Amino acid sequence: MSEKKHPEPTSEGKVGVYVCYCGGNISDQVDVEKVCAQVRKVPGVVVARSNMFMCSDPGQELIIEDLKNGVVDRVVVASCSPSLHETTFRQALVRAGVNPYVYEHANLREQVSWVHHGAEATEKATRLVAAAAAKAGMLNPLKPIRVEAKPHAVIIGGGVSGLKTALELAERGLAATILEKSPFLGGQVANLETLAPTGEPVAEVMTELVSAVLRHPAVTVHTCAQVEGFEGYVGNFKLTVAKAPPTGSEFDDRLERAGRSGKGLGEFIPFAGVMPQAVPSGREEVVLEAGVVVLATGFRTYQPRQGEYGYGEFPEVITLPQFIRGLAENPSTGDTLIWQGRPIKRLAMIHCVGSRQIPGVHEENDGGYQNEYCSRTCCGAMLYAANRIRESHPKTHILDFYRDIRTYGRGQEELYTQAAKNGVLFFRFEAGEEPQISKNTGSAHPLQVKVRDVLTFGEEIEAAVDLVVLAVGQEANDIADLVDKMKIPLGADRFLQEVHPKLRPVELPPAGMLLAGNCQAPFDVGESCATASSAAVKAAAILARGYVELDPFVAEVDLSKCQGSGACVEACLADGALTMAEMEIDGQKVRRAQVNPALCLGCGACVAVCPANAINIQGWTLAQYETMVDMIVSNDYLEGA
Amino acid sequence: MASPAALHFDALVLGGGIAGLEAALNLADQDFSVAIVEKDASIGGKMIRLSKVFPTLDCASCITTPKMAAAAHHPNITIFTYCELQSLNRRGDGLTAAIRQKPRYVDQVKCIGCRQCEYACPVLVSDPEQGGFSARKAIYIPFSNAIPQIALMDTENCILCGRCAKACPTQAVNYFQEAEDFTLTADTAVLATGFEVTPLEDKVQYGQGQIPNVITAMQMERLLAPHGPYNRVLRPYDGMEPDSVAFIQCAGSRDASLGVPYCSRVCCMYTIKQAMLLSGSLPLADITVYYMDIRAFGKGYEQFFQNAQAMGINFVKGKVAYLDQGDSGAVQVRYESQEADGGVQTAEHDLVVLALGKLPGWQPGEVCPVSLGPDHFIKTVKPKLAPTLTDLEGVFVAGAAAGPKDIVDSIAEAGAAAMEASKYLAARKPAFQALKAAS
Repeated sequence: MSEKKHPEPTSEGKVGVYVCYCGGNISDQVDVEKVCAQVRKVPGVVVARSNMFMCSDPGQELIIEDLKNGVVDRVVVASCSPSLHETTFRQALVRAGVNPYVYEHANLREQVSWVHHGAEATEKATRLVAAAAAKAGMLNPLKPIRVEAKPHAVIIGGGVSGLKTALELAERGLAATILEKSPFLGGQVANLETLAPTGEPVAEVMTELVSAVLRHPAVTVHTCAQVEGFEGYVGNFKLTVAKAPPTGSEFDDRLERAGRSGKGLGEFIPFAGVMPQAVPSGREEVVLEAGVVVLATGFRTYQPRQGEYGYGEFPEVITLPQFIRGLAENPSTGDTLIWQGRPIKRLAMIHCVGSRQIPGVHEENDGGYQNEYCSRTCCGAMLYAANRIRESHPKTHILDFYRDIRTYGRGQEELYTQAAKNGVLFFRFEAGEEPQISKNTGSAHPLQVKVRDVLTFGEEIEAAVDLVVLAVGQEANDIADLVDKMKIPLGADRFLQEVHPKLRPVELPPAGMLLAGNCQAPFDVGESCATASSAAVKAAAILARGYVELDPFVAEVDLSKCQGSGACVEACLADGALTMAEMEIDGQKVRRAQVNPALCLGCGACVAVCPANAINIQGWTLAQYETMVDMIVSNDYLEGA
Repeated sequence: MASPAALHFDALVLGGGIAGLEAALNLADQDFSVAIVEKDASIGGKMIRLSKVFPTLDCASCITTPKMAAAAHHPNITIFTYCELQSLNRRGDGLTAAIRQKPRYVDQVKCIGCRQCEYACPVLVSDPEQGGFSARKAIYIPFSNAIPQIALMDTENCILCGRCAKACPTQAVNYFQEAEDFTLTADTAVLATGFEVTPLEDKVQYGQGQIPNVITAMQMERLLAPHGPYNRVLRPYDGMEPDSVAFIQCAGSRDASLGVPYCSRVCCMYTIKQAMLLSGSLPLADITVYYMDIRAFGKGYEQFFQNAQAMGINFVKGKVAYLDQGDSGAVQVRYESQEADGGVQTAEHDLVVLALGKLPGWQPGEVCPVSLGPDHFIKTVKPKLAPTLTDLEGVFVAGAAAGPKDIVDSIAEAGAAAMEASKYLAARKPAFQALKAAS
């Protein structure tokens, strides 16, 4: 960007205004041509043009031509929200060989045409564009801030997504460190036996992935590691990590399982994972520097409430993960499935447990929240389990209770078709009319399931069953401490919130912070790996280049005015962005405010408190604001005025 | 736009839809050189043709154009549009692609996209870009935000009147232009060949496109788009504003009789989106969705579905058996209801929208020795740990080319394919090996 020669704009500013129709989004409410005609009267405006889609190539070309021909030297585009297209148009300026910061954006869609109608809409649009044009006349060229990037990625979480992200980066020639809070690598996937729909054994998948990670010299792994301190910015993050023996009993089951497995470090232990290193004997602190940080903190399975579908009340009601583990540990042979010594003639499976909860219809979970989302993987997992049971234990009948069968993925619809062929009996229930589980006293089957079945036109159906398996959903792991330390957003669903759910799913709002796998949303293993690789490719773009360029909209101290009051430092919201520094002015040692541009948020809190008006945000100075306000309240340019 | 010649790139991306653009940008941002080869006259794929996207209701044009522009202006990306891949093979250490530049009958270098030819052309042809609901000329720019802005001639309909050639200020119109073949070599390739919609003509029970006022979901996208054919939602048969609109789910998917036994993964969500947009533009209309299962599985999708129900959109569980022409342009929908007392019922709607499914956008056939899955989409050999790997070394797949997929899943996969391609390139390039040794 900085290599191109930027012609210096003339001091008075020749402002070009470009107004977008947005294919009717704007022009249906705003008289775009009238806006153009009126803003031509604003001092400094030399041209005002319109286009159907200013963001399209021909639209951008209009601007570039005017800049190249010297007709204009400052640009205002009036279109949609700047969050969509400000960068697009700044890049157009760069292509014209002009500094990208002599640009101002006016929002005529979200702030005008989508909320106002008729003449008022056109008037408001005109005022906003006039204000932007007045400010544009005062803009000066700025230089982006260039930050060197530490050639290293830190990945938080040692499940499949974290492992995959680290391996991708390592194989691309970039160093990565995995931080895992438990003593084990492998995350939730280690708690499975085979993967739906294609049946890959977890032991094989896990062994392949983990051994590749552990073998690779570019990957460092820390288990029993917790992030205690976090600071910095893209390119220069600093993490303080404590490695300590686990406290509490969270990992006892897995450690005990590892102990009796007879397996060594680096080997996969079913339903525990891989211990890459011994549990540390004492507390140890590690400080890591990183150019990017990837969150891969994963998920946990939903824990049914006491009494939900009889869970916790009847021992014959279990979750799908419990079922999978039980069958793996006590394999059952013969025509009838044996569960804990009992033959299971009839097995009920219930979908959407802890998923698709509707406020006002379903009860709140312990903790007062609801999981309104679909957990995505349970339908496939449940039908996969159903098929395996039907195919190896033909005398075990399966009753499947569902709301919608969501076998969306490749090879999944086949699971559904196969389940029907295998004689799985499906019952569909409406939200709020969940199957009722009760104790069955009158028959050999211990439980009774009662449901109103939509598939048979609302018939009340009761069935005696031997076992109930609940398809429990996914919940984001509780990472409140990280969210707090890193100042990253959680969505209403308590998963981490990406920048844009459609186009930027693996990026977090702070630059250089990325998302991999199920901390963002429920996914299956293949999908998690895709998001992990996707996060890795974004990390690689930063790390391989070795530097990042940031917008220069940061505070700037006018040393001729600064009195060293320190008010700005106190008001500053970003730790370390403003400090008082000793310096020599006119042979005198004084303390003056100093800005760290890479940390400054450009929020302007310092500007408001400075008693000497000595601090300003570049590109958003007080003088520029005053001009905008003057122009917004002026009527000079309105027709008929 | 480079002129066709023998060219070498680090990576070849086949397809300029959202998956291809994302893959190309991710590679280019690592300073690899990338060629995008696109069969259509513009990049942007299916996404640029949509009205809005679920569940954010972002205007599709508004979020696709930045990606298109970013790729078009990236110093490391070269785009070849209106090109047909003749062959893609591994030759020695790299990949060789034989490509045919189809004739636009307009010189790509001379054309400045001014549209004078289009304005001068006297021929009106039904415009597939607008669902066939409005007309375009026989020489035209594909659509308003197409990239590149280069005209092309529809020789099927051109009457050779010569007006376009006279109107063109740069003498770009060339009636004698011929296809040009060129070869492109690359170290790695990403197949992002996307999808096509299942043909309406295949389903006898739904009228094979012969019943008036039965339209496809892609046509509904155009009716709802801000720059669509009518600027409002009207039924095409008689221009009436429909009071009652029905959406038929799984009209081209989960149907063995069509050879499409799989779920197309996006239809439930785009239907819910269209129903919501429709209730915005026609607040008094009754909207009914006939469905088998609502598959709102992605992030925020279930909540979107619940919102649609709260807005009063009527969801009816039942597979539609057949459609028939009703009185005064109405459509009769015969279905087996699974609600209330059940039974076979008939309902009448003013307009019916078929949620057609997805078919592979490209059949490699003799062109490229990459294998297909039983669903005819490109086969992935390691669907769990490396979901973008094909059975051809150095060739990766992204987006709907490897099975139906929505935009965000395509974006994730495109990133993954680009990562695989970058690793493949890094392993072969001395400069990157040095970096590796240093780390």
